[in-house]
Amino acid sequence: DVWNKTWYPKAEDHVNTEKTWYVVDASDKILGRLASTIAIHIRGKNLATYTPSVDMGAFVIVVNAEKVAVSGKKRTQKLYRRHSGRPGGMTVETFDQLQQRIPERIIEHAVRGMLPKGRLGRDLFTHLKVYTGADHPHQAQKPIDLPIRDKRIQKQT
Amino acid sequence: MNKKEVFKLAKGFRGRAKNCIRIARERVEKALQYSYRDRRNKKRDMRSLWIERINAGTRVHGVNYGNFMHGLVKENIQLNRKVLSELSMHEPYSFKALVDVSRTAFPGNKNMAPAPKKEGLSILV
Repeated sequence: DVWNKTWYPKAEDHVNTEKTWYVVDASDKILGRLASTIAIHIRGKNLATYTPSVDMGAFVIVVNAEKVAVSGKKRTQKLYRRHSGRPGGMTVETFDQLQQRIPERIIEHAVRGMLPKGRLGRDLFTHLKVYTGADHPHQAQKPIDLPIRDKRIQKQT
Repeated sequence: MNKKEVFKLAKGFRGRAKNCIRIARERVEKALQYSYRDRRNKKRDMRSLWIERINAGTRVHGVNYGNFMHGLVKENIQLNRKVLSELSMHEPYSFKALVDVSRTAFPGNKNMAPAPKKEGLSILV
């Protein structure tokens, strides 16, 4: 009976073709607050039908990724590290160096750290689409604006 | 238990654990211990899942889980979290009515007076 068994989504409840697509403009938005709202929507934690073992979330498109903002001195002081696995193989870059090289990676790195780590988390990460510039190739999915409830996400100038 | 029973319980295990008795016996013992523990953990996990779902459902209406439950307690509505989570998923209008009831009973803490400021080390300066 439906009232005594906790609902678990069936295959037709999470078809990728019927999920919502959101678009958000990253210019002058604080990096971490933006990544947090994106991760919540990708994981599906804003839906009452949230299930931790199933991908119920939405797709999110980020445009103008190179204009994302950080507060304080993070632009020159925040470090991005990666290690190749070999001894002495650590590369350290600052925020603005990485922004010159590959701006999309900044938002991807931030959101990936906020999604679960595991098979499902890696699948969820593929639902994030980041683009520099104001254009994106997903007009056919008719994305709607991502509803942002954080009041401090816009950088104060 | 004898080997036949062990292999029956070891179906679906990885590698030699489903075929070789010495390894299967260890893995089956572990599996039975895990299932004992998880029969108790399942009750905790389900409740936490219901709470997450109710939280998501009430935040759509601008109320968070804590204030919502406090309002329900004040109105003496004794629906449990399982039923509330099912309502939030399948009966949205009824759930909205519950959120409104809770909001009238407990509108939230925004209008409370700020807590009295404690004197810190600044009085020594």
